[in-house]
Amino acid sequence: MSSENPSFTDFNLQQRQKQRQKWEDAMISPPFGGFNQASESGYLLLSNPNNQTKILDHQEDGKSTGTLGSNKVQDWDPRAMLSNLSFLEEKIHHLQDLVHLFVGHKGSGLGGQDQLITQQQQFLITADLTSIIVQLISTTGSLLPSVKHTLSADIPNGQLGGHPFPPMAGMNCSPQPQNGGGSKVSDQSSKMDVAGDCGAGQSHFIEEHETKEEEDADEGEYLPPGSYDILQLEKEEILAPHSHFCTICGKGFKRDANLRMHMRGHGDEYKTPAALAKPTKESSSDPVVIKRYSCPFSGCKRNKDHKKFQPLKSILCVKNHYKRTHCDKSYTCSRCHTKKFSVMADLKTHEKHCGKDKWLCSCGTTFSRKDKLFGHIALFQGHTPAIPVEETRGPAVLSDKMDGKEASNKGRKHKFQLWLSCCRKWG
Amino acid sequence: MSTQSTPILSALTEDLLIRVNEKLVQDSDRKIWRLICKEFHRVDSITRKTLRVLHVEFLLTLLKNYTNLHTLDLSVCPCIEDGTITLLLHRVDHSMWARNLKFLNLSRANGLKFSGLEMLVGACKGLESVDVSYCCGFGDREAAAISGCGGLKELRMDKCLGVSDVGLAKIVVGCGRLERLSLKWCMEISYLGVELLCKKCLELKFLDVSYLKVTSDWLRSIAALSKLEDLAMVGCPLVNDVGLQFLENGCPLLQKIDVSRCDCVSSSGLIALIRGHNGLLQIDAGYAISEFSGNFVECMQELKNLNAIIIDGARVSDTIFQTISSNCKSLIEIGLSKCTGVTNMGIMQLVSGCVNLKTINLACCRSITDAAISAIADSCRNLLRLKLESCNMVTEKSLGHLGLHCALLEELDLTDCFGVNDRGLERLSRCSRLLCLKLGLCTNISDTGLFYIASKCSQLHELDLYRCMGIGDDGLAALSSGCKKLRKLNLSYCFEVTDKGMKSLGYLDELSDLELRALDKITGAGLAALVTRCKRLAYLDLKRCERVDDTGFWALAYYSRNLRQINLSYCSITDMALCMLMGNLTRLQDVDLVQLTNVTVQGFDLALRACCVRIKKVKLVAALGSLISSEVLGILHARGCRIRWD
Repeated sequence: MSSENPSFTDFNLQQRQKQRQKWEDAMISPPFGGFNQASESGYLLLSNPNNQTKILDHQEDGKSTGTLGSNKVQDWDPRAMLSNLSFLEEKIHHLQDLVHLFVGHKGSGLGGQDQLITQQQQFLITADLTSIIVQLISTTGSLLPSVKHTLSADIPNGQLGGHPFPPMAGMNCSPQPQNGGGSKVSDQSSKMDVAGDCGAGQSHFIEEHETKEEEDADEGEYLPPGSYDILQLEKEEILAPHSHFCTICGKGFKRDANLRMHMRGHGDEYKTPAALAKPTKESSSDPVVIKRYSCPFSGCKRNKDHKKFQPLKSILCVKNHYKRTHCDKSYTCSRCHTKKFSVMADLKTHEKHCGKDKWLCSCGTTFSRKDKLFGHIALFQGHTPAIPVEETRGPAVLSDKMDGKEASNKGRKHKFQLWLSCCRKWG
Repeated sequence: MSTQSTPILSALTEDLLIRVNEKLVQDSDRKIWRLICKEFHRVDSITRKTLRVLHVEFLLTLLKNYTNLHTLDLSVCPCIEDGTITLLLHRVDHSMWARNLKFLNLSRANGLKFSGLEMLVGACKGLESVDVSYCCGFGDREAAAISGCGGLKELRMDKCLGVSDVGLAKIVVGCGRLERLSLKWCMEISYLGVELLCKKCLELKFLDVSYLKVTSDWLRSIAALSKLEDLAMVGCPLVNDVGLQFLENGCPLLQKIDVSRCDCVSSSGLIALIRGHNGLLQIDAGYAISEFSGNFVECMQELKNLNAIIIDGARVSDTIFQTISSNCKSLIEIGLSKCTGVTNMGIMQLVSGCVNLKTINLACCRSITDAAISAIADSCRNLLRLKLESCNMVTEKSLGHLGLHCALLEELDLTDCFGVNDRGLERLSRCSRLLCLKLGLCTNISDTGLFYIASKCSQLHELDLYRCMGIGDDGLAALSSGCKKLRKLNLSYCFEVTDKGMKSLGYLDELSDLELRALDKITGAGLAALVTRCKRLAYLDLKRCERVDDTGFWALAYYSRNLRQINLSYCSITDMALCMLMGNLTRLQDVDLVQLTNVTVQGFDLALRACCVRIKKVKLVAALGSLISSEVLGILHARGCRIRWD
């Protein structure tokens, strides 16, 4: 079962590559060349921005596909709009001042240098104007919610149309979650279809937001609510031992690979390399929506109804979270008979280290590593490392075999007394 | 006699007697004092502060008498064990001695384990200094026992191979006031232990971490020791310039640094160190730095207080001598052994400024001639020690200058200087304070030369005549009448020496170390004549003295009760004599028994059985390993005896 995150970053990367290619195309394209000419010869300044926007269009094509799902629910924010407008105003004033300055200079300039100076001035003004126009366009873009949806639907359809897999085909999830989340995904796809009617020409309007959201996505930890789909599995599904089922005989498997091995027995058509091949990364990187999972336990922070809901990233996370937090700890360590776990893997990890706390302090604390023991000794007054000998090893084993609660209580009591004595020492 | 002297003695108050007694320095003088009368003996036992015991059976009575001891040295006692300590402490009235004890030397006391140490430490509350170096069995539990001395200030643990970080941590936590600590050769000690040490023992003034895996991290921790004055890290291959740079800004009181044989240290590291510590007194960088950069020489100008610098094995130029000469006016010691580029000119420049030099080591500086030596003799009138090993250009002229100007000279090493002859020795004999003279491989000297030395240098303690083929019985006769204080004598390969010479050596009462290798003219009678008189003999090397027969060894077994170390390899000793020797000499600790053709396996077995409880080191032919009974080997092992298989 592949987790969502890597596929998502793959996806971004892919898009960036495409974007770069577009840029390169644009460099050779005639409009760009025209722009160069215009600026060199000092033509109409207004013609430059037009070209610029065209280039931006290209850029948009690439980028916008990266954050399809995240834009569609974005609300219009009047405060953001206001700040954008005031920013624009400021910029225009700045430009005005600049032009004033140039006017003042023009009278005093010498003939030979004049041409060079005007060229530089034009460059400056062009750059400023371009940025103002870009700002203006993106601000306008945020005002038109329907346009954004167009964007998100239109571009993938146009660009990825030739792709061999439909967007959902590559989902590597188990059958049950697919069923559980199926309706929502289909909802979304229908939205896309509806929005698909809008023109592609407006796609460039959301540049500003898009980049912000891309950053958010890169951070990975925080996704704005609503920027992803929430799936919630039922308790029974989470605890089910198998997640892959044979469509013919219904036998369950933990791993997809095992299922495919099993399928070979059902006929020659399942023996083809294509049928046996591992679902490729590309197919898993296709999904259009980020998916996050919710814990079915109501009141849990991982439950979608919780105030400070923190979604789980993958089905594996859901399973481990549910077992660790909401299930009995049924696996007991066979060595210390104290530690209990609800996830088998946790027990195995513990058993690797259990009993290896051979670094013992005179205060009774054990450490698995020598440097930790020495750090402890350096910290406390009068503590020394205990020297392991047969006599002391005997009782240590006994205490290990004590009832878990009793042992931990004893330890706590001891630690408390130590703490008390330290307090007294420090006065 | 005592009845006659009583009135005189009654005039001498106890107070006066104590003050007189305190003036006695030599052990032999004190011995005479003790034998005068009971009152004198009592005074001696009150005032006696130090005790070095060789015979464990007398320990009980000795400790009963001497109750004001500060120092107890058990390092030469062959079999100190936990049981001995129990015996010494559990006779209640006898534990008086432990109360005032401050310094305890337990070096090489392999038999002592943690329970014995625990009892000892528990009884000696005031212990300040403990030496447990070369105790093979000393491990973490023993260290834990030592950590009971809360007031411990000095601890030597050289070559305690069993001590790990855990043991060190015990000591560090238990003895927080530690000022001097030596961890030389404690191979198990790692960074963690030393880091803890540097956090807890902030009073540390001296630290020896020689031959350990000292890294830059160690030095970063050590740099935090604000009171450290002396740091020794000989032979640490991982110490580099980065590490020394940590010391630049740390250890503000550092006075002595020893980085000899640290291969990765270069002059830039030392420059950093010197930059941080202009008050350095002593730098030992022998075999560490191959060449000194110009910056280093410049940097040395800062070291106005430098007392000693040792740069053995380096390539030097005259400029460095000029710098030292004009800046380090208080230099007392310089070591230039095996340096290349040492010239007469350089030495002349050096001594023109550094007139206070007392110790100069010029071993293997082969281009040195009489000109340099006479310059040294002219300038450094206080010279005490001069080493000229393998300086072949040195002749009688040099010795003449030394004899004229260096009246204080105590130690002179002329090994392998074949320019030395009888005339040279005659001139040298004017240095009447000579204590130690090494003439090994000086083939041009004869009995005549030795006669001059013997007649003038009456203080001589040590004389090395290794392979001086010209030396014979007459020279030894002169020696035995002139140098009565001789303790160490090496006559190996002086083939002319016969029984007559041995007989005259017998008159040297103080003789303790004697090497007689390959003297094939001496027989059993000669050895017997020697050992019947030299009661102090502790070390005897008889390797390849093939004509010495059992009569000599019987005498040895009977008379040399203080013998601690003997080399009998290639001797014609038989089973009986060997068993007698090993059984009778109860002080014996180190024996070489290689290639004894007249001794059978049973003889070895029996001999080792006779001494296995006290012997510490034995060298045997490897082939015997499978022949000697495992029982004997087992006992030897259990007693901490090391067997070297040849």
